[in-house]
Parts: sequence; C-alpha cells; structure tokens
Amino acid sequence: MQYLSASSTAGILLDLAGAAILLLAFACLASKLFNRYVVYYGAQSVVLAFAAGTSAAAFHSVELWILAALTLVIKGVAIPVAARRVLIARLAVKRDAAMSTGLSTSLLAGGALTAFAYLVTRPALLPHGTAAAAVVPLSTAVILLGALAMVVRRHTVAQLIGWLIVENGVFLGAITLVATFPFIVEAGIFLDIVAGVLIMVVFVSGITRQLAEASAAELRELRG
Amino acid sequence: MTALAIAIALAPLAGPAAALAGARARAAGAAQAVGAAAALGCAIALLVLLNGHPPLRGWDGFLYADPLSGFFLLTVSGVTLLAALGSVSYIAAQEDGGELTSFQARVYFGFFGLFAALMLASLETGNLGLLFVLVEASTLASAALVGLEGRARSLEAAWKYVIISSLGVTIALAGTLFLFYSASALHPGSNLALTWPYLLAHAQALAPQSLRLAFLLAVVGYGTKVGLAPMHTWLPDAHAEAPSPASAMLSAALLNTGMYAIIRFLAIAHARLGGTYPRAVLLSFGFASIVIGALFMVRKGNFKRLFAYSSVEHMGIIAVALGFGGTLGLYGALLQVLNHALAKAVLFLAGGDVSLRFKTREATSVSGLLAAVPLTGGALLLASFAVLGSPPFGVFLSELTIVRAGFARGSPAFPLLLLALLGLAFFAFARTTTAMVTGAPPSTTADPAITARNHAVITAIPIVLGLAALLVLGLWIPAGLDSVLRHSAAVIG
Repeated sequence: MQYLSASSTAGILLDLAGAAILLLAFACLASKLFNRYVVYYGAQSVVLAFAAGTSAAAFHSVELWILAALTLVIKGVAIPVAARRVLIARLAVKRDAAMSTGLSTSLLAGGALTAFAYLVTRPALLPHGTAAAAVVPLSTAVILLGALAMVVRRHTVAQLIGWLIVENGVFLGAITLVATFPFIVEAGIFLDIVAGVLIMVVFVSGITRQLAEASAAELRELRG
Repeated sequence: MTALAIAIALAPLAGPAAALAGARARAAGAAQAVGAAAALGCAIALLVLLNGHPPLRGWDGFLYADPLSGFFLLTVSGVTLLAALGSVSYIAAQEDGGELTSFQARVYFGFFGLFAALMLASLETGNLGLLFVLVEASTLASAALVGLEGRARSLEAAWKYVIISSLGVTIALAGTLFLFYSASALHPGSNLALTWPYLLAHAQALAPQSLRLAFLLAVVGYGTKVGLAPMHTWLPDAHAEAPSPASAMLSAALLNTGMYAIIRFLAIAHARLGGTYPRAVLLSFGFASIVIGALFMVRKGNFKRLFAYSSVEHMGIIAVALGFGGTLGLYGALLQVLNHALAKAVLFLAGGDVSLRFKTREATSVSGLLAAVPLTGGALLLASFAVLGSPPFGVFLSELTIVRAGFARGSPAFPLLLLALLGLAFFAFARTTTAMVTGAPPSTTADPAITARNHAVITAIPIVLGLAALLVLGLWIPAGLDSVLRHSAAVIG
C-alpha cells in the first residue's frame, strides 16, 4: 500500500479538502433552510471530488479519476439538483428544515463529536507523517456529524441527505489510502448509494402522499 | 467448484426472471421455488466438496468459500426454499383476494429472488469491501419487500428499516476501513492482500488499537442488521409489516447473514487481540438483546412482532455463544443459527397462514386455531415450543450446548443469567401463542377454514418440511453436519 506523506503537495491539499468537508458538514447541520442544506451537501461532494482528483493525480490512478468524476456528477450535481427539483418543488416540501433540537444544542453536540473523533482516531492508530493520519480523524468526524444530522432532522429527505454525508465521510477516509479498496468495491459502493437514494425516494414520495408532509415526526404509529 | 458457487448465487434469480416475463404469482412462485431448490442442492454439493478440503479461492480473493461459508449457504438457501414455497400460496392468495395487484406480486418476486441471490453471494466473497457492498444491496432489495403493501404503516416500517440499516452498514464499512488501516504495516500491494484469509493469516502484524476500533464498529454496524440491541429498533416494525414469507426471509436469512459478517471480523480480532476484548463486546450486546427481546415479548399484541422480538432474543443468544467461545460455544452458536432459522421460518409461514385466514395480525383476535385449522395451529404450537428450546427439537440441543459452553468458561454467573432469561422468554412467548392455539375459534370470522382452502396443500409443504428438519436436528445430528460444524468452528479459532 502506498502512502501520501502529509508534507507533500497532495497531502496538504487532501488535508485542506478534509477540513473544508468537515466545515461543510457543520454548515449542513446548522442550516435552517432546506435549500441551503442541500446546497451545502452538494458543495461538500464537490470538494470530495476535488480530494479524489488530488489523490488520483498523486497515485496516477485512472480508476480514482473515474470515481472523482462520478462523485462530481452524481453527488455534486445530480442528487442536489434532483433533491431540489423533485422533492422540494414537486412534493411541496416545506422550505424550513425542521429540527428536533435547538440549533445551538446540535452545534454543541457536533463540536463534541468532532473532539470525540480526534480522541478515538488520533493516538498511534496510523503511521506518523502520512496524509491518512491527518485526514482519518476528519473523516470520522464527518461520519459522526452526518449521523447527528440524521438524528436531529425531522424530515425524511433531510435524513436521507444525512446518510449521504455519512457516506461522504467514509469515502474521504477511503481515498487517502489508495490500494485500500479495489475499484470493483468502490464502484459497488457507488452503485449501492445510487440504488439506495432511488429506493428511499420511492418511499419518501409514498409517505408524502399518505401523510401530506413527509416528516419523520409524523411516523409514530409503530412503537415498542 | 467455482461453477457450483456461481450457480448458488444465480439460481434464486429464476423467480425475478419469471416475474419480469410477466408471470402471475403462482407461476413466478413456482419458478422461485425451483430456483431456491437448485441453490440448496448446489449448496449441499459445495459443502460436501469443501468439508475437510482446502477452501475455494478465485478471482483475486473476491471468491472465497470455506466450510463456514458453506454452512451459512446451506442455512440461507434452505430458508429461501421454505420461504419461496410459502410465498407461492401466500402471495397467490393475496393476489386472488385483491389485496395485492398483479404488479405488486411481480415486484414481490422480483425483489425476493434478488434479495436471496445477494445474500448468498455475500457469503461467498473473501473481500471484506465486497461483503459490505453485497450486504448493503441486500438491504435495499429487502426494503422493497417490507414496503410492498404500500400502506402508511408498511411505508413507515420500510423507511425506518432502510434508513437505520443503511446507516448501520455504513458504520460497518468504516469498521472495514479501520481493519484495512490496521494492516498498513503489511504494505499489502494487491487486492488479494485485503481479503479475509490474508488478514487472518497475517493477524499478528495488524495494529491492535485500530483493530479494536474496527471490531467494535463492525459489531455495531453489522449488528444493526443482525438486530442486536440497542440497534434492533427497525426489526419488529419491518418483520410485522412485511408479507409473512418475506418476514421469514428477514428473520431466518438476513439476520444470519449479518451474523456471518460479524463472525468473520471476530476470527481476525480473536487471532490478534485474544479472547478478552471480543468476549466483552459480544457478551454486552448479546445479553442486552436477550433482555430487550424477552421483555418486549411479555406484551400481547401483533403476533408477528412477538416473533420478531424472539429473533432479537435468539440473535442475542448466538452473540453470547460466540462470546463464550471455545469449540463448544462456537459449535453451539452455529447449531443455533441453523435451528433458529428453521423454527422461525416455520413460525412466520404458519403465522402468515393465520393472518390470511383471520385477516388480522393481532394475537388477541385469534383463538381456537387447533380446532379451526389443525395443521397450521399444530405447526404454530410445535414451532413455538421448538423456538423456545423445548425438547425434542433442535433448539433445545443447541441452547444446551451454549449453556454448557458457558459453564466450561469458569464463571457460572453468565450461563445462569442466560438460563433465567430463557425462562422469562419461554413464559412470555408461550403465554401468547398457546392462547392463539387453544380455545374456541372466534365466531365473527367468516369461516376461516374456507377462505384459504385452495392453498391448503401448498401451504402445508414448507411448514411440514421445516418442522421435520427441526425434529431430526433435535434427535440426531448427521455425521456430515457434525463434521462441517467442527471445521467451521475451527475457522473461527
């Protein structure tokens, strides 16, 4: 397995991209309006595509270039546009992305989770001086923030995008070590995400038709 | 052998092919059953070839099968056959009764076969990344089955299922990532190096801290699919809202596939970290699941939810057995996987017949099953005692083995606690099912004996097959199966 050193240009770029992705995850967590939430997710995916491109250039990997392009097109453009067009416009989803906790509470929780991610992944887990050692704590934090977004957001579409943020975090971790995942697996993960989004959208529109508003807060018939 | 392995994963696609060609429920179900029978036949053949021989490897480690995979292939394909046979009568009856459109029936068989094929394929790969891909894909295929009926309740259950399981499996992917990071010292250069057999063979070179995190994430992640508490919250809803044969697939096949993934991670963690840490993790999640499962069974209500909580409890028992470890514990865990799968498949199929006849899933609205429909009632009674661990059925034998394994580990506290919880579960579960079976049939129902008469024979086949297998396993473990279980337990270490 090859490593990127943290002080190489690619390593620095990856580190910066990781930091930007974390910030955008915070932006998603904090945005009040649905439009913004979706836009921040799209921006995060674009930065992720940039990171994948950096990694591809450093390792001269054609497969990573393909993944970078797929990330840009599907996650960066297609999903956000579709989320806005189809879900928000056609299903008349409310513009306000409701949360079950206050904004400050969820941001505090996000900060705590980020600290926790560093606590868990920092000490002696990874070889020193590699880009991975810098990026893996960031990607772990993004995973936790995405999960937090899924928990605090009430809307089904917002929960779906929370899951996609989690996936972005995993992907960021995966691209820092190039040989980690063979291309078939990476492509399979991608296919899973696309299929997952499609099937979730089917459920969301079904729920929307039944409940007039696809808010998970209304989903409380099944208990115990 | 490679051809056999491919055939196992492809055979269940006969159902989707028939459904795509526009067959009605009965024909598509028959194709599905034939495909599942072919998969079971191939799985048995593969198991015979693998037992005591070196594992099957191919395609850069993407294809890998040892006796452990073979054993799970046998279980999952067997359950698929029972559930496919059950689907023929259940879905055809719903289609004839107008509860499902013929499009929905075709969607059902389309996703049923895909679901089975993806699960079987996930048991045959040595690449842990591909394992994730296939498990996640099987989640998506089965979510379509859960939401099939399209009512508000089933959509809610499907949403909960797909969102919680997807998050869970993604956490398992993060665990896989940390497992690969822990292997950085090996400088693995090719895909082959990132496969399970390679990692197990080089376990001593893995970084322990990162491996600990990887194992915990894998147990939490795949444990979500297994239904280990506290990640089990999707399970009762999905099992209650899915069509009954699909519930049988979820409970008896899908949960076991998740357990298989955990066992793979356990083997590596055990080889590097020793027994203490994995044991602590598995015993905690295992006992939490048994307690939650047993407590929620006390409440009377939807009988499919009751069966679902019993699955939570049994997955907890299997996790505890893996935690006890040793040859005896692992042997018991695997035997419990097979026995629970058979018993739960029979329970859900019999329960499906009950809900077809009585048009309800509430346990309190059902009574006098033995008098009204002797075969289904009798099967429900026998299968509930079987699943609760009464002799002479297989679950008794496997739970006895697990408790013995617990006592063999030294401290008697854990096996005693296990016994007490099993007693509570017995009381809670049998209280509801015996009330359903005994007494007089409710007079309000429109003669339950007539409603589904056309399907009596085909309904009976999988139920009788499953019960017979369960009884045989309680009285006698065939020498071949015994040797497979021993070889599989040796794989885990």
